[in-house]
Amino acid sequence: MIKSLFDKVDLTPPVLLVLGVLFLLLPLLPGEFPLVVGTEILILGLFALSFNLIYGYMGQISFGHAAFFGLGAYTSALILRPMIEAGQLGYVGFFLALAAAVPVSAFGALIVGFFCVRLTGIYFAILSLAFGELLFYIVFSWYSFTKGDDGIQGLMAPSVLKSGLVYYYFTLAVVVMAALLLWKITRSPFGFTLRMLRDNQNRTAFLGIDIRRVMLLNFVIAGAFAGLAGALWGPFQRSVSPALLGWHQSGVPVFMTLIGGAAHFAGPLVGSIIYTALNAYVTQFTTYWSLTIGLIILGMVLYLPGGLLSVLDGWRQRRRKAGT
Amino acid sequence: MPTDWGSLLIQLFSGLSRAMMLFLVSSGLSLIFGVMNILNFAHATLWLLGGYITFSIYTLLAGYYGVSILLLAPAVVAATLALFAIGWAIERTLVRRMYGRELPEQLLLTFALILIIGDLIRLFWGVQNLRIVLPIEPMPVLGSFVNPYLFFIIAVGLIVAGLLWWFLARTRTGKIVRAAVYSRDMVSALGIRIPNIYALVFALGVAIAAFSAGVFLPIIPIGLGMDMDLIVQCFAVVVIGGFGSIVGTFVASLLVGIVYSFSILIWPDGALAIIFVILVAVLIWRPWGLFGTEMRF
Repeated sequence: MIKSLFDKVDLTPPVLLVLGVLFLLLPLLPGEFPLVVGTEILILGLFALSFNLIYGYMGQISFGHAAFFGLGAYTSALILRPMIEAGQLGYVGFFLALAAAVPVSAFGALIVGFFCVRLTGIYFAILSLAFGELLFYIVFSWYSFTKGDDGIQGLMAPSVLKSGLVYYYFTLAVVVMAALLLWKITRSPFGFTLRMLRDNQNRTAFLGIDIRRVMLLNFVIAGAFAGLAGALWGPFQRSVSPALLGWHQSGVPVFMTLIGGAAHFAGPLVGSIIYTALNAYVTQFTTYWSLTIGLIILGMVLYLPGGLLSVLDGWRQRRRKAGT
Repeated sequence: MPTDWGSLLIQLFSGLSRAMMLFLVSSGLSLIFGVMNILNFAHATLWLLGGYITFSIYTLLAGYYGVSILLLAPAVVAATLALFAIGWAIERTLVRRMYGRELPEQLLLTFALILIIGDLIRLFWGVQNLRIVLPIEPMPVLGSFVNPYLFFIIAVGLIVAGLLWWFLARTRTGKIVRAAVYSRDMVSALGIRIPNIYALVFALGVAIAAFSAGVFLPIIPIGLGMDMDLIVQCFAVVVIGGFGSIVGTFVASLLVGIVYSFSILIWPDGALAIIFVILVAVLIWRPWGLFGTEMRF
């Protein structure tokens, strides 16, 4: 009975449930460091989940997704900074600053997406990269508004949220809500339309679906969630810098999604756990982090192209074969 | 902005020499994509590796024979051959396994190579920028001084461009390579060993890039991270010119090189941003590039 249930149901809820419990219990680990790593995993995990709307569900690869993460981070930072300087940072102002990042990033994604969704494949990838770099250079060289290369320092959350433990649980709450919302979106008719046009754009268009509009809407949703993740980043790291919009940052969700598995909703989150935890702990032993992650990615691409969660699919398939 | 003719001329020459480097790196990138349909993200990283190897060989030679521009030639040749071999090996062991895979997986493989090779460079050569200093007297041109080495680079770039064109247009192997751009199956059906052609194209593309890195060492110091700046510009060049089109790559290199060099005078921080604006405009207006065909789009 349980066996056959395991074969049939969507694996996402159990995987998310296990992850959720692990995240709830994570602060039991000794010291402050796991909290810092945990918060980073959650924020970057949300960033990667939003990226996977474009990659896993829509079938296009964006190399400029960090632009919306950075846009969100800068929006909340630019609103928070004057409040902190005036010493008037309250909860309402803080939450408004975070919330403001969402429409700003969505608007940025609307403009970039308007052009990107006209293209597919390699051209989509390069155009998104070019827009990302363009935004990076605007933030980098507009010193009077963004402080350029110096970034914006001294960001923080108000009173109770300042503690690492509370901010961790706050981030967990936000990310859980966002992830559930994202999951709902991928299970909606809209989500299935995305999968359909990923598999065949022409046939989807034949059904009378305006594919560009669906793609643009999805791009905007992905940008909005990336912006939310970015907004959480500033108060966590206490600063934002133009690098948050650069191609390096855009590579992060790509790696995470590949490591975890793009075909699974929870894949990017699992990827974030592995990538971020490795980054945090490997860098204590060696400065050759790029070499390490490079070799891991090489191994994944060659031997496990479906990502870590594709192992679950493998088990299921074998079980099914054995059953019949 | 300086408006005297002399400094404008200097910008023009530096733009032209920059265009030559962009062309030498992008032509390989474009060829590899045209023939194998692989976008080699690591192309500029292999270019960088070529520069480091040239530097080491040159330094070794200069230790024996003293500083001389003539010693650069054997160093460049050796590094070009070394990268030809490395390119061949990478194609045989890694890139080969990616044919027929999804585009993102191909991109990720070459992306992994960037990370690995970048860190290996750091391991062997450290993090400081390296440069070959040659005793070259600046030449007076219209009241300003121009480094005559720039003329040499422009000439070398044109010669290599000519050789590449000759190879593709006139030799048997070149014709096979061009035929492979249009139909791999057909070429294969004619009894030509496509895997060998693939390895050759990859190795050749990488070798030309390494050659340009070596030739440029006396005027551009190389350092970690330069590969990413360059690869993004090469993408711009290849997209503007059209994937697989050598003529398009050449024209786009001139455009990007000269625009970059003049925009540095006007808006130093935004020189690259202007290139991206051009790139975005081309991608929206003609995604297949100025000289490309709509075929692959």
